[in-house]
Amino acid sequence: MNWSTAVKVARYHLADRFTFVAAPLLVQAFTFAVNLMIFVGAPVPGPGRASYSGALGAIYVAFAVLGARSISRRLPFALAIGVSRRSFYAGTALLAGALAAVDGLILALLQPAESATGGWGLRLDFFRVPYLLDGPWYLTWLTSLVGLALMFAWGMWFGLIFRRWNWAGLAAFAAVQIAALGAGLGIAARTDAWHGVGRFFTDLTIAGLTGALAVLAVAMLAGGYTTIRRLAI
Amino acid sequence: MTPAISVTGLSRRYRGQLALDNVSFDLEPGSITGLLGRNGAGKTTLLRILDGQEFASGGSVRVLGAPPAENDAVLRRVVFVREDQIYPDRNFRVRHALQTASWFYPGWDAELAGTLIDDFGLPADRRVTRLSRGMRSALGIVIGLAARAEVTLFDEPYAGLDPVARQLFYDRLLASYADYPRTVLLSTHLIDEVAGLLEQVIVLDRGKVMLAADADTMRGAATSISGPAIAVAEFTAGRTVWNRRRIGSQESAVVAGPLNDADRTRARVLRLHLEPLTLQQVVVHAAGASAASPPDPRAQERTSA
Repeated sequence: MNWSTAVKVARYHLADRFTFVAAPLLVQAFTFAVNLMIFVGAPVPGPGRASYSGALGAIYVAFAVLGARSISRRLPFALAIGVSRRSFYAGTALLAGALAAVDGLILALLQPAESATGGWGLRLDFFRVPYLLDGPWYLTWLTSLVGLALMFAWGMWFGLIFRRWNWAGLAAFAAVQIAALGAGLGIAARTDAWHGVGRFFTDLTIAGLTGALAVLAVAMLAGGYTTIRRLAI
Repeated sequence: MTPAISVTGLSRRYRGQLALDNVSFDLEPGSITGLLGRNGAGKTTLLRILDGQEFASGGSVRVLGAPPAENDAVLRRVVFVREDQIYPDRNFRVRHALQTASWFYPGWDAELAGTLIDDFGLPADRRVTRLSRGMRSALGIVIGLAARAEVTLFDEPYAGLDPVARQLFYDRLLASYADYPRTVLLSTHLIDEVAGLLEQVIVLDRGKVMLAADADTMRGAATSISGPAIAVAEFTAGRTVWNRRRIGSQESAVVAGPLNDADRTRARVLRLHLEPLTLQQVVVHAAGASAASPPDPRAQERTSA
């Protein structure tokens, strides 16, 4: 693997600019527009308060879908034209990082725009999420970047599981994750650890949370790599 | 000289079934080889392993001197055009496919690509997923030839192409090969069509190599002898006979091995008709050796394969 091959793989994905560059932003712009229309009809909150919307999640979902799409129909042709799995994976991860950086920056810069316009004149906090995306712009940028990259890596792993083991693999993979989540919640409930869990999150700074998400993203990438290594086309 | 492709004791097992069974052969650099055999013989599996798309269960594979799997240094010198190639969907167009391929092959021949696009009438702006079967094949062929890769693997590259387009492929392949000799391995069922192109032939059947030989040697490898049954019996006595067919007092038999002048003279005296088997007929006999028994066992007997 070398960098120039990875860059070529990223360019290969970008042949389809609509899917990779425009689509996630359009999805987000669309949900934003829908939110504006909804909140125009809603009462404006009193002084010192704001309306919240969780619709910023749309772009994160879009990134997960993008991650899955970057694999399923794109890996076979890359292998046919002399690209190794390793190079393909590195190039796709590189693209994920670049897209997350650019789109994360756009999200981060819309935050000051939002406060300057008084929440788009509606006191709507669309791009500011309390606790999560609520600090200085560069921290919001970093958190968004890591979050978007994490979603992309997650989607990539799903795409790889599908390529390797089809629907059965996909179902098993999703079931394992749900079971792991359920087991975690069950253990927390049974051991009365909710207090500790709550304290963990309140003590955790945004920077700390971003670091934890970054570790998770790296784990996703590593999981995807073990899946692609022996994948046959 | 290091062989361009060297396969030793290669096997590939799928759920207890052997797709490739102890396959061994070497290909010298700069040759066009036909990879022949029936459906399910293991041709595609072999090509996929040579391109590192699939992994061997046992044995060793060397392409350009090294194992190909995950080996960037080798893979960038190999191109694989397969019939069932999956292309990116949505907005991925013919020109994107060609452009992308050009980035990965240092020897990409843009001029040849342009000529071939015109020859095949490929619409550069069309989405690859909207191409007809024949056009999709044509796209694969353009990539395979323009890549000018040292090892060029074609797996049934012309599904859906009309005879004129197929002839175009053969002509362009030969011209491009003459300019830039490379190692071409071409899997196909249209043996007679490509017979003139092939320097060597590998015949696979049920995962095993049945034959690996020079195409010229194979063309004279067997002769069909027909005439009165008694004369045929006399001529074939002591020879390896692949196939016998008898209708009334007339019989025809396929005799393996080259015939010399004395044989021919004797055949003339016995009023026997001699006809060398075409490459396709030889392959049918070789690949059909393990096939189901013929319809009428009395009319056909196989003494040896």
